[in-house]
Amino acid sequence: MANEQQGTQLQTAKGQLPASADGERTSTRQVFIPVTDIYETADRIVVLAEMPGVPPDGVDITLERRVLTIRGRLATREHGGYRQIYSEYGEGDYERVFTLSEDIDRDRIEASHKNGVLHLILPKAESAKTRKIELKAA
Amino acid sequence: MAVRDLIPWGRSSAPAPRSESTHPFLALHHEMNRLFDDFWRDFSPPSFEANSFGWPNVELWETDKEVKVEAELPGLDDKDIELLLNNGILTIRGEKKSESEDKNRHMSERFYGRFERQIALPTEVQEDKIAASFKKGVLTVTLPKSPEAARKVTRIPVRAN
Repeated sequence: MANEQQGTQLQTAKGQLPASADGERTSTRQVFIPVTDIYETADRIVVLAEMPGVPPDGVDITLERRVLTIRGRLATREHGGYRQIYSEYGEGDYERVFTLSEDIDRDRIEASHKNGVLHLILPKAESAKTRKIELKAA
Repeated sequence: MAVRDLIPWGRSSAPAPRSESTHPFLALHHEMNRLFDDFWRDFSPPSFEANSFGWPNVELWETDKEVKVEAELPGLDDKDIELLLNNGILTIRGEKKSESEDKNRHMSERFYGRFERQIALPTEVQEDKIAASFKKGVLTVTLPKSPEAARKVTRIPVRAN
């Protein structure tokens, strides 16, 4: 029952499901799934994940085999003396897991973080790049 | 029966349990109950939960002297955000432009486009002393309460006898 309640809380706080449905968490902080855009070009996959309030050093990205995990740890906001009168988003960490379908060139992955948005560039490996095949006139 | 059970929105939002019974009358009875349950479920009370007022999400905080408004605006630059105050209503508006250019296949969950939110401030504020900052995608607006509004807060000591 307690789990169920927590689940609804997570859902309403950001319209998202709990990031990790399996297993128990060691922290009682809420975990949100960051809202993400993914687009693909011929040579790379770009992931843009919104994690407002997360400092650049709070972002943790791991790639294990084909599983890409993005974590963002929110620095505790300073609200000294303030009391909350209205809330829509709450405070919590971000976590999202993706399974990649293309082979990624691990050595050239680039990540940057600006204005609360994580930009992740995953270059495709040579073998997975889209090749255009020229048609020869017979 | 507890009073709470009579209030339609006091019920859980989980679907009514469906019986495996094959008895035609019982099945009809359950079906009718389910219909009524579904009907009432739509009359939920107005919710103040996330996303009910659009983008961006905001939070309000206060002390005896100040009101603080926070809004999550990831992906925006400080110069893209416009803040206005008129008759005690704080307006946050701007436009969020798409950052991706040459895209083939695309999955998009993020919000793009023009946005505007108006927040009625709970008290009068000193309009010339409002400060706003934008950090890590979070906008923070600090509005000092006007002396009259701040004075209205009276602390009443609670004494133990």
